[in-house]
Amino acid sequence: MLDHCSIFHKGGLVLWSRSFTPAASQLAASSASPINWLIRDALIEGRAAEEKYEKDGYAVKWTFVNDLELIFVVAYQRILQLTYVEDLLASLKTVFVKLFQPFLTTFVASLHAVNNRAVGTVNGSAELTTWNFAKAFEGWDTVFDQLLKRLEGEAAADRKARLRSVPRIAIDSESPGSSDVDTAPTESPNMAQDEQQIARNVQALKNRLRGRGGRRGGRGMARTDSGSGRESYPNSDSDSTLKKKPKKVQRKWENGSITESDMASLDYSSDKPNDTDAQNRGSLNVNALVDEASLGTRTKDGLYEVKDWDFGKNTGDADAVISEALNATSKVPATSGSMGALGSIFARLTGSKVLSEDDLKPVLEAMKQHLMKKNVAKDISEKVCEGVGESLVGKKVGGFQTTNAAVRQALSNSITRILTPKTSTDLLLSIRTKLSSPLSSTQQRLPYSITFVGVNGVGKSTNLSKVCFWLIQNGFRVLIAACDTFRSGAVEQLRVHVRNLGMLGMNGAGDSKGRVELYERGYGKDAAGIAKEAIAYGRDNDFDVVLIDTAGRMQDNEPLMRALAKLVSVNNPDKILFVGEALVGNEAVDQLTKFDRALRDFSSSGAVGKGRGIDGMLVTKWDTVDDKVGAALSMTYVTGQPIVFVGTGQTYTDLRQLRVANVVSAILSD
Amino acid sequence: MAEPEVAPEALPVSSALAASPQVLIAASLFVALLAIAISLWLRRKSQSRGNTILFVGPPDAGKTAVLSTLVYRQTLPSHTSLQTNTSVLTLLNNKTVTLVDVPGHPRIRDQLLDHLSDAKAVIFVVDASTVSRNGAAVAEHLHKVLHAITSLPPSHTPPALLILAHKSDLLKTGAASAAAVPDQLAINRVRTVLERELEKRRVSQSGAVGIEGLGADGEESSEGAGLECNGPSGGSFKFAEWEGGEVEFLGTSVAVGEKVSAEEKSGGKGISELSQWLEELP
Repeated sequence: MLDHCSIFHKGGLVLWSRSFTPAASQLAASSASPINWLIRDALIEGRAAEEKYEKDGYAVKWTFVNDLELIFVVAYQRILQLTYVEDLLASLKTVFVKLFQPFLTTFVASLHAVNNRAVGTVNGSAELTTWNFAKAFEGWDTVFDQLLKRLEGEAAADRKARLRSVPRIAIDSESPGSSDVDTAPTESPNMAQDEQQIARNVQALKNRLRGRGGRRGGRGMARTDSGSGRESYPNSDSDSTLKKKPKKVQRKWENGSITESDMASLDYSSDKPNDTDAQNRGSLNVNALVDEASLGTRTKDGLYEVKDWDFGKNTGDADAVISEALNATSKVPATSGSMGALGSIFARLTGSKVLSEDDLKPVLEAMKQHLMKKNVAKDISEKVCEGVGESLVGKKVGGFQTTNAAVRQALSNSITRILTPKTSTDLLLSIRTKLSSPLSSTQQRLPYSITFVGVNGVGKSTNLSKVCFWLIQNGFRVLIAACDTFRSGAVEQLRVHVRNLGMLGMNGAGDSKGRVELYERGYGKDAAGIAKEAIAYGRDNDFDVVLIDTAGRMQDNEPLMRALAKLVSVNNPDKILFVGEALVGNEAVDQLTKFDRALRDFSSSGAVGKGRGIDGMLVTKWDTVDDKVGAALSMTYVTGQPIVFVGTGQTYTDLRQLRVANVVSAILSD
Repeated sequence: MAEPEVAPEALPVSSALAASPQVLIAASLFVALLAIAISLWLRRKSQSRGNTILFVGPPDAGKTAVLSTLVYRQTLPSHTSLQTNTSVLTLLNNKTVTLVDVPGHPRIRDQLLDHLSDAKAVIFVVDASTVSRNGAAVAEHLHKVLHAITSLPPSHTPPALLILAHKSDLLKTGAASAAAVPDQLAINRVRTVLERELEKRRVSQSGAVGIEGLGADGEESSEGAGLECNGPSGGSFKFAEWEGGEVEFLGTSVAVGEKVSAEEKSGGKGISELSQWLEELP
């Protein structure tokens, strides 16, 4: 069922983790574990508010404990529809924090040792020996098992309850097959035994509560069998074969059709008081299945109580904690509410004000409005604010910091993270690396190719010529491929640019004739073919860079998007730059997602598997938006790719690189 | 259970305060002044130190693992870090240093700059077993670090720079070099790869016409700087000739889940050399 579960500090140290399959434990140890991907792709990029993250067939869900800076993560196979994972995370969180609060606080303090107080706690030589993590969390394994078991049992019971309403046949076919109640093989055999016992106790309790006190009928038995799952199977099976040898002849193992009578004989799900055999079997097996030692006690009202599980010395109260966690999560806000406004002021003054969801709501709403005023797309501003909220709930705000200031600070951090590129934006270096990379003797050096894509009228050709100017200044020979074979005047426009660039010269000295050329094949031709010819021409004529200009297209126009994907898959350019205008608002999200997806989907025809997506963005018309630069945030959030250039005017030199700090301050300014 | 316990505790406090608003104001003023005083005192105290050891480097290099080995005397398993870890380590001679582990993810590695001004040493951790594959990315990160160190104000004593060839135990040693110490092998490999990649960056950026930063006022020096060398090799990048100061190398390895005992095993030296290096820092 589950593959991996992990509890770790935001700084990266893992406090406790368990893998449920060998494959998962191997994967978890490597740097490519789904959890590492979750952190890199989702949490660091400000997507913490999303519900789950999927990677390599795994689905990952997580939850934060912000005051202790812990993250709880559960990873499982994506195809499974596990309904209880969120409950599991929520109860894990509550129980873990409750059980180990003092240790965790010391631990977190040791990772924030900036002031003397913390030095004192970590300093003493006696303290050093007490960092025994295995000992600190002993007993947690059992608690975890019990918790997991309980939730799985609940989920299974839920499912059964739903199935019970449909005709009997469905139950019959379902209950023997419900072995997915069972956890995946756990690592130690004694753990398996524990689970078995827990399951028995749970089952016994259920039966009692159902009002079937006294003797257990055949029904209770059969349910216990199916409920305790795989581990108990061999056990009970051998039991029954021993006890009823004569019956064995009747068993049919072939996969043929099941007759009504077979079904009836296999049906243990209802009471059959007449069936003495079943009755016998039941009484015989009761002893085998209910361990005397772990039998619960009976209260005065006749209520059967499951014996407290033996967790080891320090966790005797774990059961109470678990049940409290499971049904009383809503009490938490109530306790803080009882302090009243005065208490909250006092708490703030003493620097222990804990941010609650209610505190954050109005501030986050205001921040969202603010972002939208700065032209950030609506969806994006919602997600960013949710992510910020997620990282602040439960956090203590110190001293005189208002909620507003805390949110502002967190938002600024989050936006900085999103805008900071995660891949190198050094175009010159990657061009030089490609041009100087060693080649085999038969290969001919291909020029570095950059494709410009985007919707109509955003300035693809204009900014292509600016990039071209910059490349020429750096001493490259550039070929421009006119692959916009649709819009009239597109080729002529590029021709004018090439003529101008040829006359401008390099570094102010002399003209740069021969440094730039236009490759054109007129209108109405296949753009992919022209680009291919252009790259071949560039290779033969010793050009360093080929800039491919494509026709603008709307993201919804599938034939045109397919044509673009074909161009990409045929020529496999080194960089695909998406050109978007800074004026765009909500549309930015749609444009980018659809361009990215279309490129990935349609260009993945080959055996390579995943197609190419957008590698970077060029934001144009930046000079027209003043400080409403939200489009930059929307674009980087959607793709996760960096903004390589910013177009800021009409001349060839009006090309800039993005400074993250500037954009952040522009977005946050009032 | 929790509610009845809290309520009686909270009630007397609020009722007592509500009864006399003057007391409340006076008390809050007093607390406020006290808090200001304490925070100022702490800030001054922490700033005057400047004995921070920074752990930087690409993600998955093992920064957090080294930190946990040093601080907790055992190597905890770790995931990619989301935030900076700061811990205090007591050295054998009873001096304390603050260890700061800056996450290596490109989006958050710039936090380095917040800590650099009071750094005594910068330790750049490199995964020796993968450096030949992702040398370019590692070099880009190291370049940023070098650039940050060289652009510190001249009055500031530059921090010592140590490049840690980590995970030397994972390095596949060929039959021929089996005799060689894995640590030394790791150091050599890291040094060669990084020098090659940094030289590439230096060549590409020397004489290149950069693009102006948006709204840059010229006070920010160009990104390309920080790789200047002077020496017999004619300006090409060598760690030995780097202008920013001396660069040292060490090879280390840790094993997850292992406790560091006083007597090291014979196989790898683990991080004992690193501890020694930290001891010897002025």
